[in-house]
Amino acid sequence: MEFKKKVLDNGLTIIGEVNEAALSAAVGFFCKTGSRDETAEISGVSHFLEHMMFKGTEKMSALQVNEEFDHLGAKFNAFTSEENTVYYAAVLPEYLQECSSLWSQLMRPSLRDDDFNIEKNVIKEEIAMYKDLPQFDVMDQCRALHFKGHPCGNSVLGTNESIDALTADQMREYFGHRYAPNNMIVACCGNFDFDGLCSLVDSACGKWTSDDAPREISTCAGSLEKTRQTKDTLVCEHICLLSGAVSMQDPRRYAGSLLSMIVGDQTGSRYFWALVDNALAEVAAMHYETMDGTGCIYSYFRCNPENAEKVMEVARNIFTELEKDGVNNDELQKAKNKVLSAITIKSEQPMGRLTNLGLNWVYSQKYRSVSDDVEAIKAVTVEDVNALIKDYPLSKFTNFTLGPKA
Amino acid sequence: MAPFYWGLYFFESVYDMTERFDKHVLDNGMTILGEHMSQVGSVAFTFQLPCGAAQFEKGCCGAGAIITDWIFRGAGKMDSRALIDALDGLGLHRNCSVSAGFLSMGAALEASNLEKAIGLYSDVILRPSLETEQFELSKMLAANDIISLDDDPRSKVMMALREQFYPKPLGNPAMGKLEDVESMTVDQVAAIVKQRFNLSKATFAIAGKYDFATVVKQLESLFDNEQPEIDTAIATGETGEKYTHLQHEGAQVHIGLMTSTVTVQNPDYYNVMAAVSVLSGGMSSRLFTEVREKRGLCYAVGASYNGLKQAAGISCYAGTTPDKAQETIDVIIAEFDRLGKDITESEIARAKVGLKSSLIMQSESSSSRANGIAGDHYLLGRVRSIEEIKEKLEEVSVETVTSFLKNNKFDGYTVVTIGPESVKV
Repeated sequence: MEFKKKVLDNGLTIIGEVNEAALSAAVGFFCKTGSRDETAEISGVSHFLEHMMFKGTEKMSALQVNEEFDHLGAKFNAFTSEENTVYYAAVLPEYLQECSSLWSQLMRPSLRDDDFNIEKNVIKEEIAMYKDLPQFDVMDQCRALHFKGHPCGNSVLGTNESIDALTADQMREYFGHRYAPNNMIVACCGNFDFDGLCSLVDSACGKWTSDDAPREISTCAGSLEKTRQTKDTLVCEHICLLSGAVSMQDPRRYAGSLLSMIVGDQTGSRYFWALVDNALAEVAAMHYETMDGTGCIYSYFRCNPENAEKVMEVARNIFTELEKDGVNNDELQKAKNKVLSAITIKSEQPMGRLTNLGLNWVYSQKYRSVSDDVEAIKAVTVEDVNALIKDYPLSKFTNFTLGPKA
Repeated sequence: MAPFYWGLYFFESVYDMTERFDKHVLDNGMTILGEHMSQVGSVAFTFQLPCGAAQFEKGCCGAGAIITDWIFRGAGKMDSRALIDALDGLGLHRNCSVSAGFLSMGAALEASNLEKAIGLYSDVILRPSLETEQFELSKMLAANDIISLDDDPRSKVMMALREQFYPKPLGNPAMGKLEDVESMTVDQVAAIVKQRFNLSKATFAIAGKYDFATVVKQLESLFDNEQPEIDTAIATGETGEKYTHLQHEGAQVHIGLMTSTVTVQNPDYYNVMAAVSVLSGGMSSRLFTEVREKRGLCYAVGASYNGLKQAAGISCYAGTTPDKAQETIDVIIAEFDRLGKDITESEIARAKVGLKSSLIMQSESSSSRANGIAGDHYLLGRVRSIEEIKEKLEEVSVETVTSFLKNNKFDGYTVVTIGPESVKV
C-alpha cells in the first residue's frame, strides 16, 4: 500500500492508496455537505441533489450517464448522510480513468427543471418506502428528538411538504456554494495510476472556483426526551435510545466503537445475553456514530409490545452496571478481535476500503492506514473505555418508540 | 487434470493462471473444496448440510430457523455462554442460514484462527447440546421473527412470492410458518438435527489464505466417522396462486412478480443472466429507465435471477405509493414481454461487462468465493473457474439471447402485492 496526495490550486484534494495487487479499483468524490448544512426551507435538498447529480450535464443526458457507467461495468452509487454526500464506483483497473472522468463531469451537473420535477416523485417514493420500514423510521425520529433544534437533527430525506416546496433555483443556489472544490475531495484506492488520475482530475476540475462552505459546529447535550408514537399497522415495539458520544476527530472514538461492540454486538454482547438469548427481544443492537464535532450512540430494540417495559428495565440496568463497574478485560479483548477481523476483511476489497479512506481525510485531513487503525484499536485499555462511560453515560438517553396501539 | 499425491493426502487440484482449486472427499462422503487466494489475509469457510427448508416433513416448516439458533446454545463441553465466548474470542464473522436444499453455516476470519474455528464448528455440528430449556427460547425467537415480518412488508412480499411461485415445497419459507413453529416439539426438532446433520451429503468449502493439507488433516480427524444413508431428493407438487394480495395499511404497495426460467445447469443459463442484466443490471437497464427515470413511479425497482437446483425464476420487486401501483406493474410486465423483441448490441455489451466485472470483484472476497464454490458444487456437482464463467459470458450475443427468449417465452407471472390497494394482473 502506498499513500499519495495532491492538492489542486483551487483547493480540491486528491488522495490515493495504491495497491498493485488488487484486482479492481474504487474512486469516489466526497462532498462535505449533508442535512445538517440545510435550513428548514430547503430540508432534504442535499439528498435530492445527490439524485440530481446523475441526471447529466449540458453535454450528457441522464440516460447517457447511466449507459456510460454500465458500459464500464461500474458498481456505482451514492449516499447522503447528515454530514457527507459521497459518490463512488468500483471498476476493473482498466476502466478507472474513464470512470473518474465521468464522475468529474457529473460533479458539474445541468440540474434541468424537467429532471427536477420527475425526480421529485422518486424522492417522495423513497420517503414513503422508509415509512414502511419502522426500524429506520424510529431511528430517524429519535435522532430528531435528541438533537431537537440542533442541525444534527435535520432529516436527510426531508418531508413530503419540504420536497414539494423546494424549487430548482434553491437547489442550484445550494449546489453553487456547497460543491466548491475546497469542500470536496477525490479518493481512490486499489490498482490504479495516481499521477494519471491527478492529471485527469486537474484538467476536468482545475477550473472550478472555490467558495465559502461553512458548517456550524456546536455541541448538543441532547434533549433526553421520551416519546412513544403509535401506528395501526405495527405489530412489534420498535425502541430507539440515543445518547451522546465523542466525535470523529476525537481519538477516544476507538474506545467508543469497542464500547458499542461490548454492549450491543449481534452476539456475545451484554444486550445479547440479557435480551436476545432469553428471547425478551429479537433484535437488540448498539451502533456508535461518529460525527463532525459530536457523536452519538444508538440502541435499537425490537420486541413483542408486552415485553417493552421489561426490555427498557433491562437496558437501564445494563447502563447502571456499566457506570458502576465498567467493562472487563475479557469482553474488551473479544470486542477487539471482532473489530480487528472486520477491518481486515473489509479492507481486502478496494470498495470496502474507499469510504474509510475518504471520510478519514474529510474529518481530520490525515491519512490513516489500515495498520494505523489496527494499532489504535489494539492500544485501547479497559480504563479508556471506562473513562468514556463516565464522560458519556449511556443512562442519559433520548428515547423514541414506535409501536401498535395499546 | 491428473490427480497426484501430496504427503499423505489425496488431492485433485486444478491450476491455471489465476486460481487453484483443491478437492478432497472423506471416506464418509463429505466433500472438501478449496480455493486459494494469494492476495488476502483472511479466510472464509462454509459447511453445507442436507437440512434444507424444502426437506422438512409436513408440520415442520421453520425447523431450520429454530435449529440455526438452537445449535449455538451450547455444544461439546461448552454451555451456551462458553461457546459464544469462544466463537467471539476468535473474531469470527459468522453466518448461518437455511435455503431450500441445505443449511449452511460458516465464518470469515483472520487466517491464523482457522484451526480453532473449525474445531468449534465440529462441536456445533457433531455435538450440539440441544437442551429443552434452550429449545423453548429458540422457538420463541423464531416465532417472534415471523410475527415481526408484518412490520417489514418488503421482505414479506418476496417471501410470499417465492412460496407461491415454486412448486411445493421448494418455496417453503426458511423462517417458517407460525402455526408450525409454535407446535413443533423438542423431540421432533432434535430428531431432524440427528437425521439431517448427515456428513455423507455434506460439503465443506474454504477460500482465502489456508493450507489445504492441514485443513484436510483436521477435518478428517474431526468429521470422518461413518454415516447412515440419507435421501436428499425432494418430491415436488403444485405451484401456488397466480395472484395474491395481502391487505396492509402502509405507505406503499409492495409488488413482487416472478416468472420461470432455466436453472443454472442449463446451457442457456448465461443467456438468462444477460437477459436479466438488460432488464435490471445497471442504471441504464430497462426497468430502471422506464419505471424510475422516465416516469418517476418508484424509488426501488429491480429484477434478479433466483435459482434453485430444481427450478428457477426471474423475480422482480417494486415499491410504490397506491395511486401509482397499477401503472407500475403494467410498465414492468410490458418490459418483461418486450425483452425478447428488441435487445440491442450495446445493451448486450453493457450486460457482459457488468457481469464480468461483478465476477472479478467477487473473486476478491474470501466469503464470496467460499459460498460460490459451495453453491457450484451443490447446483452443478463441480466448481466453475472464473475463467470458465468469463468464457461462457463471452459467447453470449444479441442472437443467442434473443433466440433463447423467443423459444422460451415467459409463461405468465406469479404476483403478490402487500399494501393498501390491490392491482389488476
